[in-house]
Amino acid sequence: MPDLSRSDALRIFTELFPTEPAIITLGATVRELIATVGKRDNDFYVLDSMGLPVAIGLGIAVGRQGNPEKIVVIEGDGGLLMGMSALATVGHLRPENLVILVLDNLTYASTGGQPTAATTTDFVKVAEGCGIAGVDADDEASFRAALAQARAATGPILVRMRINTQSIKTPYLLEDPILLSAPFRALLDRTRD
Amino acid sequence: MSTDNERSDAVIAGLAQIKPAVIPMMPSSTLRRILDWVVQQPDIRSFPVTREEEAIGIMGGLAMTHTPAVLIMQDNGIGNFLTAVTTFPQAYHLPCFMLIARRGGINEYNSMIHLISERTPAILAAADIRTFHLDETTPLDHWTTTVVKGYEFAQITHRPVAVMVNLMGG
Repeated sequence: MPDLSRSDALRIFTELFPTEPAIITLGATVRELIATVGKRDNDFYVLDSMGLPVAIGLGIAVGRQGNPEKIVVIEGDGGLLMGMSALATVGHLRPENLVILVLDNLTYASTGGQPTAATTTDFVKVAEGCGIAGVDADDEASFRAALAQARAATGPILVRMRINTQSIKTPYLLEDPILLSAPFRALLDRTRD
Repeated sequence: MSTDNERSDAVIAGLAQIKPAVIPMMPSSTLRRILDWVVQQPDIRSFPVTREEEAIGIMGGLAMTHTPAVLIMQDNGIGNFLTAVTTFPQAYHLPCFMLIARRGGINEYNSMIHLISERTPAILAAADIRTFHLDETTPLDHWTTTVVKGYEFAQITHRPVAVMVNLMGG
C-alpha cells in the first residue's frame, strides 16, 4: 500500500506549488485540501462536475497561453476515467503551461471505496499515447521529484501519484459556488499577462 | 425562404462580428460550411473536442480568462452536456455561448436522430438554458443579428446561452 494519503499528497503539492492556479476535483478532495492547508485564493473548487477538471484546466491554460505560470489540475482516478477523452484534446493542443496531477487510490473513495478501472489502467501510458509527458510516483521522494519535473516541463505533463485510501473526516462544504470561486477568478484577473 | 447556404453564410457573418479568439467544435455535416470557414480563419484558434461536456469545461475555463469563445455543436449532443452545463457554467455564473445546429426535422436524412433532436428544445428549457431559435421561416437578416446578440446576452447575463440554428430548413 502506498505510504502517502491524499491529505499528505495535497500538503506536499501546496508546498511545491504555493501560488499557481489549481483546479481541484470534487467535494471530498476539495474538503480534504481545505482541511489540510486551508482555503487558498489560487484554488478553484469543482464541487460537482465529475470528469470535468481536466477540460476546465485546459480552457484556462489555452486562455492564458503565453503566461508562463503553470495551471495545475488535481484529479482523482475515478474522475479522470470519466473525462479521459479530454487527454486527447490536451495532447492535440499541447498547452505548455498545463500540469495534470492524478491522485490515484484505485477507488471511488467518496462513494464508499468501490474499485475503479484504474486497477487495470496505466494513466501514464494513456497520457503518453495522447502526446502528453507522463511520470509515475508512489512515495514522497518520487512525488517531489515528479512535481519538480512538472514545474520544469515545457509541455503538458501528467503526474500519476499513487496514494492510499486513508481519508480525514471533514464537514460538508455548503458555500455558494459563485462566492467560493470569486477569489480564484479575481486572482486570474490579477495575474493576466 | 432562404437556402441552407444563405443561412450558413448569415451565421458566418455573425461569427465574424463576434470575433471569437477560440472555437471548440464538434463534427457536423450540417455545419460543414460554417466549420470550413472557421478553420480557415487565422485569428481564430479552432480545434476539435471529443465530447460536448468536455467542450463545456473548456468554455468555462476560457470564460474565467475572459477569452471570447463560441462552442459549435449539434443538438444530438445536448444529452451529453447537461450535467456539465448545469453544474459548471450555470452554477458558477460563467458566460458560455453555444451555437447549436438543429437536426431531425424537414430535409433530415437520418432515420433516428429526430428521437433526440426533436426533444432538445424542451430539454434545454427544462435545464433553464436560455435559447433562441432560427429556422427557414426566420427572415435571413435576423440570423446574423440573433447570433451576435445571443453571444452578447451570454456575456451580460453570465450564463450559458444557446442559439439553435436549423440550417436544414425547419
